[in-house]
Amino acid sequence: MPNPLRRLLAPHSPVIERDVTSVVLDDGRQVEIQRVRNPRARRLRLSVDERGARLTLPTRASLKSGERFLEDHRTWLADQLARYTLTGLPTLQREVTTSLPLRGTMVPLRWSAGRFTSLEFDAATGELDFRLPARAGEAAMRRALRDFYEGQARADVGRWMPRYLPTLPRPPRRVVFKVMSSQWGSLAPNGVVALDLALVLARPAAFEYVLVHELCHLLRADHSRAFWREVELRCANWREERDYFHAEGRRIKATLRTLLSC
Amino acid sequence: MFFRNLTLFRFPTSLDLSELESRLAECALKPVGALEISSRGFVSPFGRDGETLSHGISDAIWLSVGTEEKILPGAVVNDLLARKLEEIEKKEGRKPGGRARKRLKEDLVHELLPRAFVRPGRTDALLDLGHGLCIVDSSSRKAAENVVSEIRHALGSFPALPVNAEVAPRSVLTGWIAGEPLPEGLSLGDECELKDAADKGAVVKCQRQELQGDEIGKHLEAGKQVTRLALTLDDHVSFVLGEDLVVRKFKLLDGAVDALESTDRDDMRAELDARFALMAAEAKRLFSVLEPALKLSRADD
Repeated sequence: MPNPLRRLLAPHSPVIERDVTSVVLDDGRQVEIQRVRNPRARRLRLSVDERGARLTLPTRASLKSGERFLEDHRTWLADQLARYTLTGLPTLQREVTTSLPLRGTMVPLRWSAGRFTSLEFDAATGELDFRLPARAGEAAMRRALRDFYEGQARADVGRWMPRYLPTLPRPPRRVVFKVMSSQWGSLAPNGVVALDLALVLARPAAFEYVLVHELCHLLRADHSRAFWREVELRCANWREERDYFHAEGRRIKATLRTLLSC
Repeated sequence: MFFRNLTLFRFPTSLDLSELESRLAECALKPVGALEISSRGFVSPFGRDGETLSHGISDAIWLSVGTEEKILPGAVVNDLLARKLEEIEKKEGRKPGGRARKRLKEDLVHELLPRAFVRPGRTDALLDLGHGLCIVDSSSRKAAENVVSEIRHALGSFPALPVNAEVAPRSVLTGWIAGEPLPEGLSLGDECELKDAADKGAVVKCQRQELQGDEIGKHLEAGKQVTRLALTLDDHVSFVLGEDLVVRKFKLLDGAVDALESTDRDDMRAELDARFALMAAEAKRLFSVLEPALKLSRADD
């Protein structure tokens, strides 16, 4: 027979609730705010990054208190949005886009009609060729772009990896590419290396540094001095690449997100 | 013993495998112990009566990883546990707590393990030293990775990585079905799988279907891409190539098996030897066709 008291005392699994609210700034602009109710949150928190603004509420905070908090910090929010909003990001529009970012540069793009959707690099002309059938939709176009970027990223990793394998205790189980929100890469305990697909838009030296960083975690599963010594042995200029990510990282991630979202 | 599915890994061709046999002997399969759940190790590719743990022809080496797993269904354990708990409740007038239940369950597993059936299993692998290629006869990535881990455990170091295509495989497969030239020797089969570009989009699976007809053409025009494609290599091998680069339904056709008919069938070992030689040759030939077509990365610096 079920015990109602036990059911009452059992801890609830945390549920994160998300919705969208809006606030009118001093200049009359209405901006959308992602509102997240997170049981792990201890206080109200308003944060801004290149993806927009986010209001985090603890479980017991009322929506009213959240709105008041937003009202109180309108000026700060406007300043941060101005600081973090990235402009001039490339977009993918059929027959309109003339170049696409790849390996730190913009590569010319031409559009042509084809029997199936594909994006290929024409080494002879140094141009990208986007072939699309008339009926292909946005999703097919963006999928082809994603596949193209993944192919290019795999080509880079395939070229660099053999150089580092002999000095590692074991090879990674496999390398997967994902669109990551804040990380550039990670190494799972089972040996799978996950890399951010946006790395293929960064300069190649920076991409290689992230790969080296994750491979070095096969030697040291921490960020100790010993770990950084291993990184330094394989990638002497890792500090420059880290600075590059600090300066350009947000733009690179935002670029990929813009290109791949319908 | 023909492989049915091929999961491919690449390793540097410079790898020294001269002590392979002795290293494999150290990691031979031991019978699963009374209180063990499973055991894994190398077995002879020629079966129980075989003496060696590897067999080489030219630059191809044949290995077999054997497994022994105890079959202990969770339902059996849970049923016995429920009965025991009932008994205790009747005797003591209270239900045992969580910790006691866990201990009871562990005791039950220990009691049942020595009586459990043992399921033997075996996964074959082919090492192609010329291409630096490890082919595992499994379509399961996990099972294939387990075989590679076992080889790594035996050799101490085995830097094998899953094959890496430098182009999007689904784009290449879609191109072949849409009329782009196929690599020399390859021809289209009659089976394919098409997926919509959107995540969790529509999936179309075709069997016994003309792949270059209008019906497939309409799907391609709508933006679907090929994720699995049946192909034939020189009327010798038929297979289904997936976007995950796993070769499934690998089958030697009459053109290839004809060569085998003339061999002496009296000697089992000679028969297996001939079959392995034939299969290794066809698998290597297939790889040499797929390698440039899919721009597969090498593992050598």
